[in-house]
Amino acid sequence: MPKSPSGTRPSRRPRARAGVPSNGAVSPATENLVRSPDAQDERVAAEPVASSRLSEPEPASGDSAGAGMVIELPARPRKAARRKYKPPADPRFRIFIIDSGWNAVARRVLRHNFALIRRLHKEELIYLLSRKKSVEFIGRHRSLIGRDPIIAVHDLKAMGGRGTAAFHGFHLHLGILRTPRQALVALQTFAHFVGHPPSLEKSRSRHTHRASPRGYAGLGRDPPT
Amino acid sequence: MLDRFGEAISVVLGALALAYLVYEIDRRKRRLRDLFHVLGSEEADISGELLSMVESGELQPYSREARA
Repeated sequence: MPKSPSGTRPSRRPRARAGVPSNGAVSPATENLVRSPDAQDERVAAEPVASSRLSEPEPASGDSAGAGMVIELPARPRKAARRKYKPPADPRFRIFIIDSGWNAVARRVLRHNFALIRRLHKEELIYLLSRKKSVEFIGRHRSLIGRDPIIAVHDLKAMGGRGTAAFHGFHLHLGILRTPRQALVALQTFAHFVGHPPSLEKSRSRHTHRASPRGYAGLGRDPPT
Repeated sequence: MLDRFGEAISVVLGALALAYLVYEIDRRKRRLRDLFHVLGSEEADISGELLSMVESGELQPYSREARA
């Protein structure tokens, strides 16, 4: 004869052991609490305040007095309304980040200040090369050895006319810098430039030499030395 | 005699200072060009390969969702 839930048993049961599936060990009185995960998700989503009470022991009331079991709530469901990424409609630049990871200082600065670049990704297209791809790529282009992390910027406006045959962008070689401060200043200069691009053609015609940031971008700020 | 010697020293020191100035400006200019390297026809193959990686779909634009 099965024992009644409210018989001689103590009013509170010990916690369910970790790893033991709770579905089979649920008393009828608590069946209403242990529902399918979907139902729990719905409950969590619909009643955030009420759901927080689920983990606490229920107040003793009738048959549910012995229902002091712990219910493991599923992980908080992700917000379904996370916006899907839409590539910018009319990007001016295409930015590639190539990093084989040999220069730990520059790599760390780049990673810690990635927000500077991420801020641009609404207007520009950003491509990250994995470490493996970067190593392969640099291996094919030996002139880039020792210069990565490289931020390659392609000016789509310039490339639209002449392709890659003439001036079409620039590389920021962070790998040649040795101190975090130099790398950070260079990164900030870069972000400022890409965020506020001047007319490159005008700037280029003013400066006959191959451009430096000052001549190229007209930033009026000393670059790192 | 001493006057002429002093003049010569001044001229030499001035020339050295000027040479150092020119050298330093040139060094910084070279370093700057190396840091912000402008892409021209010489780098067409590098840019072309990046371009082909994008066109072939090997590289996808960065997005937070893809990163997560």
